[in-house]
Order: sequence, then C-alpha cells, then structure tokens
Amino acid sequence: MNKILLIIKREYLTRVRKRTFIIGTILFPVLYLALIFGTGYIAEKSREDLTVGIIDKSGFFTDELIAKTNGTDSLNKLSLIKIPEALFKTSYDSLGYNGYVVIPQTASWKQGLDSLLFVTNKTYGAGATIPVENKLNRLWDEIKNDSLGIDSSKKQILASSNISLKVYNSKNRDADAGAATVIGYVCGFLMYLILLLYGSQVMMGVTEEKTNRIAEVVVSSVKPFQLMLGKIIGIGMVALTQFLIWIACIFLIYNIGKVSGQSTGAMAEAVGGVQRVFTSVHILTVVGCFIFYMLGGFFFYSSLYAAIGSAINEDMREAQSLSFPITMLVIFSIALMTPAISNPSSPLAVWTSIIPFSSPIVMMARVPFGVPNTVPWWQLGLSMALLIAGFMFTTWFAARIYRTGILMYGKKPSWKEMMKWAFRK
Amino acid sequence: MQSNWQPYFHKLTTVCKIPVTNHFYIATFDTQKKNTDLMNILEVHNLKKYFATQKAVDDISLQIPRGSIFGLLGPNGAGKTTLIRMITGIFYPDAGEIMLKGKKFDPENDAKYIGYMPEERGLYKKMKIGEQALYLAQLKGLSYSDATHKIKDWFRRFEMESWWNKKVEDLSKGMGQKLQFVITVLHEPDLIILDEPFSGLDPVNSNLIKDEIYRLAKNGATIIFSTHRMEQVEEICDRIVLVNKGKKILDGSVGAVKQDFKENLFGIQLEKIPENLSSSAFEAIKTNKQELIVKIHDGYKPNDVLEHFIRQGINIMSFKEMLPSLNEIFIRLVEGTPTARQFEKIEA
Repeated sequence: MNKILLIIKREYLTRVRKRTFIIGTILFPVLYLALIFGTGYIAEKSREDLTVGIIDKSGFFTDELIAKTNGTDSLNKLSLIKIPEALFKTSYDSLGYNGYVVIPQTASWKQGLDSLLFVTNKTYGAGATIPVENKLNRLWDEIKNDSLGIDSSKKQILASSNISLKVYNSKNRDADAGAATVIGYVCGFLMYLILLLYGSQVMMGVTEEKTNRIAEVVVSSVKPFQLMLGKIIGIGMVALTQFLIWIACIFLIYNIGKVSGQSTGAMAEAVGGVQRVFTSVHILTVVGCFIFYMLGGFFFYSSLYAAIGSAINEDMREAQSLSFPITMLVIFSIALMTPAISNPSSPLAVWTSIIPFSSPIVMMARVPFGVPNTVPWWQLGLSMALLIAGFMFTTWFAARIYRTGILMYGKKPSWKEMMKWAFRK
Repeated sequence: MQSNWQPYFHKLTTVCKIPVTNHFYIATFDTQKKNTDLMNILEVHNLKKYFATQKAVDDISLQIPRGSIFGLLGPNGAGKTTLIRMITGIFYPDAGEIMLKGKKFDPENDAKYIGYMPEERGLYKKMKIGEQALYLAQLKGLSYSDATHKIKDWFRRFEMESWWNKKVEDLSKGMGQKLQFVITVLHEPDLIILDEPFSGLDPVNSNLIKDEIYRLAKNGATIIFSTHRMEQVEEICDRIVLVNKGKKILDGSVGAVKQDFKENLFGIQLEKIPENLSSSAFEAIKTNKQELIVKIHDGYKPNDVLEHFIRQGINIMSFKEMLPSLNEIFIRLVEGTPTARQFEKIEA
C-alpha cells in the first residue's frame, strides 16, 4: 500500500511541477473560451455580403421599394438593372455584381415566386443565399402589402403574432432550461476533453515506462498492478487538481466581480446574470457530479488506455491504431450528448447516461437540468453504481493485459493475443 | 588459471555423475548436507515456466550458497531471463518452488532482499537522478532518510555527487550504467542479480564495478551474474550453472567443472621438438613453435610423458596441464559436439 502511495506521489509531482501543467491550466480556459467565442466571431466575420442584380420583367419592383429595403438591411445590396438584359448578363461580373435574379413576366403578386434562379459564376452555400432569399421575401411582402392596401400600422398588427414558449417547471421554479443547456454543453465537452487528454497521458506514461525499460526495474519491487494503479490514480489526481483550480478561479472572479460590480452598472448586470444561472442550476450538485463522473470516467477509460499503452512499442502509429476503438467510445459518447441535451428525459438520454461507457459525458449533460426533477435519484444512483462497477471491471481487465504487455517486446500484438493475455490464468 | 580449482576442491564431493555423452559428466556440487537452509540463500526446486510457444524454463533446480558469486550462463533464449524474472518475483512460476533465505519466496515482502539489474537498462529519462534513486530505493522499502543517506554515500564513492540534479538523458551510456548499478545495490540486498553488468563500460569503470562486486560479496551479499562473456565468469565467479533450452545442463564450481571437462591435455615446452613423437603413453595433438600439446592415454601419468622426453635427452622447459576454458566447455555443451576438433578450432 505504501508503495502505491510512492508511485502516486511520483506520478503526481512530476506532472504538476512541469511547466506544461501550469501553462496548460492557465491556457486551457483561455483557449476553451476562445474556441467558443472565436468560432462565433469568425462565423460573424466571414458572412458573405453579395451584390445582387434584379432583372425585373414583371414590373412589380421599383427603385423606391428597393432603396427602402436596402436602407433597413444594408447587407446583400439589391439593385434594379436598367441596362439591356443581354449586355448585363455577359458583363455583370465586371460591373461588380456577384450574380442576378430574373423576375419572370408571368409573376403574380398573389402567388409566391417559387424557385427563382440565382445566376452566379461561383457556387454559394445556403449560408450566403438564405439572407438574400429573406431579403427578397421581405421585398415581396411589401409588394403584397401595397397591392392589398395594407398600411404600416396594419402591417405592425399583422407582424406582432409571435408566440414563443418558455419552459416553466412547477416543481423546480428556479429551473432555467437555457442556462442548463449551456452548462450541459460546457460540462459534456469538458468531460470529453479531460477523458481524452488525461487518458492519452496515461497511455503515453505506460509506453514510456515500457520503452525506457524502467518497468522491469520497478516491477521487481512492486506488482505490475500496483504500478498501473499508481500511475492511473496519480494522473487522476492531476486532472482533479486542474479542475479544482479552475473552479476556485471561477469562484474568485465571481466574488471579486460581485464586490467591485456594485459600482458599475454593466458589471452588476453581468454578475446578476451569472448569479441567475448559478441559482437556477444547482451548482453544487453539478460540481459534485462532475468530480464523481470525471474520476469514474477517467478510471474507466484510463485503465483501458493503460492496457493499450503496455501493448505498444516505440512506434506511435501502433498507439493510434490500437487506441482507436477506445477513442471511438469517447467520441460516440459526445455524439450522444447533443440529443441528450435537446431532450434530457428521452429514453436515449436516460439509458446512455446509465450505461458506464457513455454515462460520464451524457449524464453530465443532463445533470444541469436538475436533480431529482429531470434526472431522478434512481437514475443517478444506478448510473454511479454501474460506473463504479464498470471501472472496477476495466481496471481488472486492463491489469491482466498490462502485466504481460509491459515486459513484451517485439512486434505489435494483435487483439486476439491481447485477449489471450487477459484471460489466461 | 590452471590451478584455480584447488581452493574449491575440498568442497567438492561428487554426489552423482550424470552422463551427458560417453565422455563427459555433469558434476553436481554438494554443499554440506546439514544446514543447507542457512548455507543457501536461494534454492530453486523444479521450477517451470511454459509459454505458448516454448518451455522457457523446464524443471530447473539449483542452490546458490550464501556469499558466492554465481554465474548463470546460457546461450540467447536459453531461459536465463525467465528464470531471473521468476527469482525476482516478476513472473509467477507455473510449477516449482523458490526458497529465499530458507523461506518460501514472497515477491511482495522479499523485494527488499533482492537487487536486480536487467540487461536492458531502464531509468526515467526526464527525472532528476537524485530523486530517481530516492524513489527506486523507497520502492524497495527504504525510509526517506535512510535512502538519502545511502545514496549520498554511494554517489560519493562513485564520484557522482555532482549528478544529483542532472537528468538521465544528460548522462553518457557508461555513466548511466554506473547509476543503474548503484540503484541496484543501494538498498543493500542479500541477493544481487546482475545481467551483463559490464556491457558498455570502459575498463576503468569495469574495474570499479568489479571491485564493488568483490566488496559486496565479501560483506556477505550473494551475486548472481548472468553473462555471455566467459572470461569474466572465469575471473569472477565461484560457481556456475549452464542453462540451455530451458534445462540445466551443468552445475558446479568453476574449478570442478574444468576438472570434469579436462581431456588429459598437457602443454610441454621443449628445447627442440623431436621428429619421433610416437609413444604408447600419449598422443601428440598439436605443435605450436616450441610447445607441444599432448593427450595422455588412459592408464598413463604425466610422469610417463616427461620420462619419454628425458630418456631422449630433450630438455623440458615447462610442463602444464591444459584445462579447457569455460568458453570451450560452454560451446561444446551448447553445440553438443564434444570433439577434440571442435576444441582445436576454438583454440586457434
């Protein structure tokens, strides 16, 4: 037992003292936020702004109407083409247009304009054409309104029939599905990243010990199982430390913001927003569950990664091909997360949050929606019990592969051989 | 070298002679029957380890007397490493029994009595040397302070004090070997197992390690020394076991083994080598400048040979028994061709 503690201590200290750990702890949240906001920003920035010519044969379009539409929405400028059609069609590119739309002579204002051709010399995706489509639809609505004699006051009345539903859980009045969705996503993705990053750390650590041949020296002092377990627990502690640092930072920033925010209005508003999220989602339950599922999931996957690490030699390609099935399980879990968040009480969400391999990610996506309202106690309890049983099984199974693999050199073992290592006495 | 066996000869009481071929026997060494538990630090009884494709260790028994320097020899793939891994508790034997210090070997608790240096050296490349030594010593059961004290002591003796904060990747191969040796013996094990300890070492460091091996043996440690380098075995080991294809084929003191494999060959340096060498007492095998190598026939004695030349009036400069080297014995047994021709080929 004492020896396991020594191994845990070594694994923990050598990692925590590394510069990469400190940098990673600071950089990861920055990069994580940059990823979330960055993609939104890039999507915003990279939006297409098209200049579209309208060749109107129907006579419904007027300069006035088009100028009005362009005034309310400056993106995707439309303009009515006055020059001869044939000339425009051959030279629109050089005139600065991205393309044109022909409104047929037969068009009737009562009917829609179905399937108009947008002629361009480039292929545009839906992201580019839908705004143009919307703009044309708004224009056509104006034409319809004018033809029906609906003035702007009547128009406003017509437009104001938007019904939107907001979920109000009578048992849990604070529940906020919006906040829960965001936190569910954040938890699920964080879990996914922790499982993959720290799992592969375990795998690489085991391979390092094997290829350095230190394994033979160490297993003459301790059992292979102790070495494997020590490494897994040590690295698990590193993951936990990192997570607790993040939680502490969030708590600290939140409190500093709360104190200093009372003076400035914008800050107070932001703090208020965070406070609403924190009260609507039971944050202690979420953090507690996260720590449980992080450790449980980590033990489940990292012992499998350790078995793979013991089987491979120096070639990193072996690592990739052998760890692929395990990585696939993690990726499959993240694929199950999205439907689970959009409908956290569906049978798919319930069962995948109970089955051990997917439960760490899927359950963490469901928990922010509320325990015991969305996730009943029996589900959480069963899921936790099965995860514990699951990681005990994978650890036992992995240890049997590990003890043979760690001293085996030469060619890459096949799956069949590894199964033989696991099941012989 | 030829009189090497004499100090050991009184110990040798042949218990049985197992015929290997028509001409050769395996000498079995017998330590005094009483108190064998105390005499032998390690006893291995009928040890077996079968892998899917081969019998790596097939019914091997051996006794290793306390304080001896013991050579474990065998060609590549003979089962030496598997045998060592069972003795060090890395592998469980399929059958058989290992007794360490007179008690059944318990890998978990007896690790502290054993120091093992594998053939493929292994250390954490990125870990500081001092911390690494400390870690591995603590894994062997030393306390932190005890380990620190001992490491400092060894580092001072091996002039490695400045290495403490270096990393293994900064060391040369020879330096790494020295460090590995220190780590192996740091916890003062009773049984030290060294697999090819001198490979990659320069003569100065080789001697340093060799002297340490002698010193450790003198202080009561038992050393199992696994190697292919027979000249090192002859120089260092008291006793040897030869393993081939998972079986023990030779066991005894170095001197006794050589005596057992001698072919009654003698080297005679003569003033001049006569034309006529025919004699009923011996047969000339080879002439080499002034030296004549003869094989004395059964029933004759060295004096008969000397007499033969004295009678001819030829001055004898020297006369010595030619014992086979361990290398020759090794190759003869492993190749299974115990012929004089084979022997000559090696001699040349």
